[in-house]
Amino acid sequence: MNALAAGVGEQIDALLAAPTFSLEPAEHQARLLALLQRQLTYAADRNERLRQYLDAWPSDYRAAESVADLPYLPVRAFKASPPLMLVGTEEIIRTLASSATTGQTPSRVALDAPTSRRMVKGVVAIASDFIGSRRRPYLVIDTAETLAAGGQLGARAAAVQGLRPFATEMVCCLNGDGSREPWIDESRLAGFAAKWGEAEVLAYGFTYVIWQHFVKPLRERGIRLRMPNIRVLHSGGWKRLQDQAVTRAAFAAEVAELFGCATDRVLDFYGMVENVGVIYPDCEYGCKHVPAFAAVIVRDPLTLRPVDAGQQGLVQVCSVLPSSFPGFLVLTDDIAEVIRYDGCACGRRGISFRFVKRVPQAEIRGCGNIETARQRPAAV
Amino acid sequence: MSDLLQRFDSPREITAAAQRVRERAHDLALTPSQVIDTLERWGQSLRGPTVDGIPGVAFLRLWLRRGTLEPMVVRELGVEGLNGAWHEERNARLRAYPLGLIGHWPAGNIEIQPLLSLSCALLGGNACLVRVPAGLVAHTRALLEKLSEVAGAHALLERICIASFEHERADLQRAMAAAVDGAMIWGGPEAVTEIRALPFPPWARLAVFGPRLSVAAMDGPSWSGGPQRESWCRRLARDVWQFDQQACSSPQALFLERSAQGDLAEFAAMLAAAFEEENRFHPRERIHPALTSAICLARASWLLDDSTHRALFPASPDWTLLLGAGSTVPMPTQGRTLSVLLVEDLLEPIARFDGMVQTLGLAVGDDAKEAALAQAAGRNGVDRIVKLGHMHVFGSPWDGTDLVRPMVRLVRHVRANAD
Repeated sequence: MNALAAGVGEQIDALLAAPTFSLEPAEHQARLLALLQRQLTYAADRNERLRQYLDAWPSDYRAAESVADLPYLPVRAFKASPPLMLVGTEEIIRTLASSATTGQTPSRVALDAPTSRRMVKGVVAIASDFIGSRRRPYLVIDTAETLAAGGQLGARAAAVQGLRPFATEMVCCLNGDGSREPWIDESRLAGFAAKWGEAEVLAYGFTYVIWQHFVKPLRERGIRLRMPNIRVLHSGGWKRLQDQAVTRAAFAAEVAELFGCATDRVLDFYGMVENVGVIYPDCEYGCKHVPAFAAVIVRDPLTLRPVDAGQQGLVQVCSVLPSSFPGFLVLTDDIAEVIRYDGCACGRRGISFRFVKRVPQAEIRGCGNIETARQRPAAV
Repeated sequence: MSDLLQRFDSPREITAAAQRVRERAHDLALTPSQVIDTLERWGQSLRGPTVDGIPGVAFLRLWLRRGTLEPMVVRELGVEGLNGAWHEERNARLRAYPLGLIGHWPAGNIEIQPLLSLSCALLGGNACLVRVPAGLVAHTRALLEKLSEVAGAHALLERICIASFEHERADLQRAMAAAVDGAMIWGGPEAVTEIRALPFPPWARLAVFGPRLSVAAMDGPSWSGGPQRESWCRRLARDVWQFDQQACSSPQALFLERSAQGDLAEFAAMLAAAFEEENRFHPRERIHPALTSAICLARASWLLDDSTHRALFPASPDWTLLLGAGSTVPMPTQGRTLSVLLVEDLLEPIARFDGMVQTLGLAVGDDAKEAALAQAAGRNGVDRIVKLGHMHVFGSPWDGTDLVRPMVRLVRHVRANAD
């Protein structure tokens, strides 16, 4: 099979090396469009069914005038088994799986070495813009077992690993044996806090893991840490915390109080395995931004056209990073609001948006809603 | 009007309202013919800016005609039943009496269903307590306001209570169930299962119109050529569009009998044009984002699953045609997503139906063939076999069940002096 067309890899690397959040929007759009068109051609050449999908699209992607006109895949297409791939299995070095809740099929994306390398570069470029590029001690609020990567890496492990380039040393402060809920390794946590208390430290955990298995047990025991210069990054969504009526503000306040730091050092970011290498942290104005090598389009569910600023819609994420799976243009099941298309007070250029919620799937759809197909086998 | 549509916050309020309308109906018996008089006037009044835009209102106008309702009552209750008279049967006589108070749980996706359901029970002389889903309250209110303006509607209005409360209020659902003598339950699997489990009195009779799907089929000559082809496409588009393809009578798949002359791509283009035209006349005003997601997923999954599959769709989620072959009804997506499947013989998919297919819409030129398909469909659980374009024409029986008779009691009087 053909590798990326000549020059495409260099163009991707150029975008990765470009100022992450300061490309002028028109230039950003033009560079992405040209690159994504070439990547779609590359994908069509390598996957017949994907080519069929692109051919069925109501407009020719090669003639598209904006990224919003390009054909996209729904995020649940990545739940397919085997995973959608653009390279041979012998080139796959790792498969990432989403954090599906019980009973759901996880999405899976297959990474080859170039995609994996660009994924790391992408996360580093984005995170550096928010927390600086200096390496520092890294406290992982999760178990070492979660990180034990075989051929398949879960979303939690992938997120932890994505921030590893910022680490001088890494300590997991939860224990787990897979048979029960994780618990805090108090001696390890106390040791890390004692050693790095006043230093600049990075911590990361899934939002609900931090809340359920770290904040709540420490709070119940009245334990407080003194780590005023810590940066706590978290991701993974709010659904499980919403079920416990925990707001973002309450979460940040509790975490900050526990570490003895300011609430603005607690940073929520949005991301998904299907959009690997791109994360969307909140800026100091509570908005999410898009790096040079990616785009976000918020589409009106009624028309699927991009919404105006101030409106909400389905989030489409776009990325030039993958070459082993077709995660270039992915329509998610998330709702976001476009705050503005340029000019956030934080100084980052391009679209700024806020995550609103997951699309609720459990809707009563009336008397024609057949959830379970019951059909006889063909008559013999 | 304020008494008709009531917001309930406590079980006690529901029990009291139920008692009130039951007593009114008991105190003043109305014959089906008298009810039809009022319903017909109501149907004639259903015009104007407050109701014209309500999906299905044109059908409701037709439904409420004497010409529609009277034959239904005669078929279900007999000629004498129309005027509440006794029907002689050898040495005895029979007469239909109302069950009493009927609770109605309509589905949340059909705007006129609360009133269709209500009209069936009223024809049986019953009082009605109707729980209207939140999304249908405004439309139901507008339609009932028209009834309140109709001369002579007072006797009917007194026996109706329209209830509004949250679906999640299990205490109110239980109170409503406990207060009724019969129930007409419509909707999807979760709703029907939940409502059936409510504590109805032991004597209550339940008429359940649960989740079903419907299918269309065309024989070779009908889709592969001929002057009727465009017309069939337009009819099918209408059937798909109504109720946003979320009704049990909405076609989810179209089976095409393979024909030497048939060109699927050409037919699909014609069908797409009909869908586009229907969309121009009846564009969506809103859509739930979950349905948009489901439509996008259906398009992608169909094309990624099988290299022989094809699809036609616009950039918007307005409509989708999924083209392929096979005799299995695919899992429905709804939202104007139609699977178009080639089969060797229309009897193949029909042989696979069990009880889930409600309506089979047919475009078949040959009478003998149509009769054979109807026979096979009936044997395989289909309750309605109709011409394409008429898949939503609500009538009795529905889902194989009468609409008036389940909510009446047939009282048998054996004369004391009879031998």
